[in-house]
Amino acid sequence: MTPPLVEMIGIEKHFGGIHAVNGVSLSLHPGEVVGVLGHNGAGKSCLMRILSGAMSPSAGEIRVGGKSASLGSPQDARSHGIETIYQTLALADHLDAAANLFLGRELRTRWGNLDDKLMLAEARKVLARLNPNFRNLGDPVSRLSGGQRQVIAIARAIYFNVKCLIMDEPTAALGPAETAMVGQLIKQLRQEGVGIFLISHDMHDVFDLCDRVVVMNRGHNVGSYRIDEVTKDDVLSLIIKGALPDDWAPRNTERLQ
Amino acid sequence: MSVAANGAGKAKAPPGLNAETFHKLSALATLALLVGVFALGNAAFFSINNGLTVLLQTSVIGLLGIGMTMVIITGGIDLSVGSVLALSGTVTGLLVKAGVPVPIGMTAGVAVGALCGLASGLIITKMRITPFVATLGMMLIARGLALQLTGAAPISQLGEAFGRLGNGALFRMVETQPNGLSKVIFPGIPYPAILLIVTALAAAYLLRRRSLGRHIYAVGSNEEAARLSGVDVVRTKIAAYVMSGALAGLAGNVLMSRLVTAQPNEGVMYELDAIAAAVIGGASLNGGVGGIAGTMIGAFIIGVLRNGLNMAGVSAFIQQIIIGVVVILAVFIDQMRNRR
Ligand SMILES: Nc1ncnc2c1ncn2[C@@H]1O[C@H](COP(=O)(O)OP(=O)(O)OP(=O)(O)O)[C@@H](O)[C@H]1O
Ligand SMILES: [Mg+2]
Repeated sequence: MTPPLVEMIGIEKHFGGIHAVNGVSLSLHPGEVVGVLGHNGAGKSCLMRILSGAMSPSAGEIRVGGKSASLGSPQDARSHGIETIYQTLALADHLDAAANLFLGRELRTRWGNLDDKLMLAEARKVLARLNPNFRNLGDPVSRLSGGQRQVIAIARAIYFNVKCLIMDEPTAALGPAETAMVGQLIKQLRQEGVGIFLISHDMHDVFDLCDRVVVMNRGHNVGSYRIDEVTKDDVLSLIIKGALPDDWAPRNTERLQ
Repeated sequence: MSVAANGAGKAKAPPGLNAETFHKLSALATLALLVGVFALGNAAFFSINNGLTVLLQTSVIGLLGIGMTMVIITGGIDLSVGSVLALSGTVTGLLVKAGVPVPIGMTAGVAVGALCGLASGLIITKMRITPFVATLGMMLIARGLALQLTGAAPISQLGEAFGRLGNGALFRMVETQPNGLSKVIFPGIPYPAILLIVTALAAAYLLRRRSLGRHIYAVGSNEEAARLSGVDVVRTKIAAYVMSGALAGLAGNVLMSRLVTAQPNEGVMYELDAIAAAVIGGASLNGGVGGIAGTMIGAFIIGVLRNGLNMAGVSAFIQQIIIGVVVILAVFIDQMRNRR
């Protein structure tokens, strides 16, 4: 079997006395969509930010393609093909859509100048894939709607050669049509062999899109199940109580591992 | 256009004009109004000679303002430029006095300015001291160094070559008349003005067309977003302070060359003129907004205001009051526009 795309082993993150992430291990394979669930403040974003290189873990190891990797900065993670849609979107308000999309890896002309024309054309293409009605590309993103901003954040993560995509509540601000397009996108990326971590509070989306769910509760990983092993109620129980219902048995009777 | 100034909120500009252009046009109108008023009050204001004086005064404010603009766009501030100007000028003066050729001495002076900027940038990014405090410290350090190096005494008799940058001009045409006196046919374009134009063009190019410029805006707009997007925030900030320091050094050399004297006491409170120029030109102290063209207009407004008030015989104290009011007004108007 090929090694997992990424593995996180025994990850810890402490803020003073707060244990935001507590000995969490998980893995992601190519073409797999893993839902990361948990109550507010469970540590989902922290765990994912560690994988994005945005936060350094207090302890633990990360392996990419079977090899130990140190992700000291977002650039490091990106160079391994790990792209992130942050819960905060991470957009620079005064820059326009194209400038944000290419921020940190601008397209340049032969002389090293910014190639704004090319960046605008490329941005138009990739944004149209997510929202055909996206017009005001020249406006600073502070003037765009929440959904448009989210679309830019998504476009930025898929434009570059992505292998592992982290989506931290990517549809929180989207309308039903745009949410459906993101669902389509996730399915398409899975086809292409991209591994995806999807953080979402929307149980319907999770059951629709994910192959596996990982549930976090107060910083702990309290369960990793194939989506056909559990019901929505099982998952809710994991999220709230941190444990499965007492009389639980795998729904399809064959529990993996 | 990718960097839209005044991004936060909808600006109330006439239809067909974006907020940035509107701000620049109103600043230009202010400048024209000032020139008109002063010209009416005093015929000498409009003379070529006075024009050159304004140009020279403005070149120093303008050079400082360009560096200040880059720093302000990153969301910082550089209070040390007036002192760094003095330190750089005196270092050049000391070197030239010691027999170092003028071009090398001046390069060294500018390098000292850049080093001050580097120090500020490192203090801000590595020690995580706020720009206000870090550059306030640098302001005292640079001033103290300049005074210590010279024993607080001006260094004069630096020779003709030292004075050329500040007093010379390109295409200057002088004719010797039959009676032995020389007559200036064309006063030429003063070197400081050329320096200002070249620097302004280079800075505008950097901000608009280069990655570093884009990163400067991004860092000031949302530092965390810039970091998560892979922008090297530390490097970007340091670059802005180094440029500000180097330009302060350049301004110091221009100024002291003009006086043909290295004055460790020069440039006190110049940082405020530079900040005023940037802010009048549309830069926001919250970061992410600003531009070179605006700052140039701002520098000319300050230069013309000071010069016109001088010629009208207004005391230096009253001038300070007026410029203080102008700065507050400029920021207020900007905020009003952005609040709607
Ligand atoms: N920078 C920080 N400093 C201190 N504590 C933090 C920091 N970031 C997160 N925490 C704490 O870590 C815990 C986990 O936060 P995290 O953002 O990972 O939650 P989450 O599972 O993503 O929640 P949500 O569903 O609300 O997004 C919280 O208790 C939070 O207060
Ligand atoms: Mg979160």
